[in-house]
Amino acid sequence: MDLYNTHVKLLAFDFLSLTPTRADPSCFQRKGLRLSRAESIGVVVTRELKPGKFLRFTIDDGTGCIPCVLWLNHLTSSYFSRRSPSSVRSIARTALQFASEIQLGVVARVRGRITGYRGTVQITVSDAALETDPNAQVLHWLDCVRLARRCYDKFSRIGA
Amino acid sequence: MDASTISAGALVRLQELVPSSPNFKQGASFRVIGKIQEYDLETAVAIIVDGDASSKVDTQYLNLNLRPGSLYQFIGELQIEPNNEGILKARVGRNVDGLDINLYHQTMQLVKQFQAEQADIRTF
Repeated sequence: MDLYNTHVKLLAFDFLSLTPTRADPSCFQRKGLRLSRAESIGVVVTRELKPGKFLRFTIDDGTGCIPCVLWLNHLTSSYFSRRSPSSVRSIARTALQFASEIQLGVVARVRGRITGYRGTVQITVSDAALETDPNAQVLHWLDCVRLARRCYDKFSRIGA
Repeated sequence: MDASTISAGALVRLQELVPSSPNFKQGASFRVIGKIQEYDLETAVAIIVDGDASSKVDTQYLNLNLRPGSLYQFIGELQIEPNNEGILKARVGRNVDGLDINLYHQTMQLVKQFQAEQADIRTF
């Protein structure tokens, strides 16, 4: 059993310490544990929109800043050319909705693939949601600490 | 601000932002929470309180309707004024009425402890 395809909840400082594996560019390691997806919650502190291309933003959870990218090029990218036009349009609409919600100062929960960009790790966002509950960040911190101590660290030892 | 250069707002209580604290550094980034005690509409400077501690927050860059008596969270940089008083130049802020403040403070300590543990493990 592993957590390779699981969205692991990580504090930003822990996420930023992930290292890429040499054999597989889509695979990152936390103390030897193989990971490919992550979930985080934080305050949106930077936002750079390239219409029709991408939204690049940063979330700050108090332990670090995680760079995120939300692709907005679904209707022009050849990557989606084999998929049905209606589902691509639906994905593009959803991404545009996320992009309009991600504004400076909001608290966002993001999930996506862990990817490398210019030597650092980032989240390539597959879904995002605004958190309106003021306790959401605190509950996420508690989840991250509990999961790291009771789950991720144990898997690391088993896998090592 | 460029994402590659932005610093995370370190988790602190207002009691830790006094001149005698090691956190009291020009330009350091912090995340603080406090209740609005006063707000000057002309200068956009708010005074927030947490227990017996208070701090000034410059909110001129925020598009927020600040209500005295409500709880707010701010992230920004500490500026030390000539009279050695600190003011947080807020980059972002939000209303957090409904936050369980005791749970927030306890969890903040837990997160710091966890960070220190992980740093020890990684340097071992």
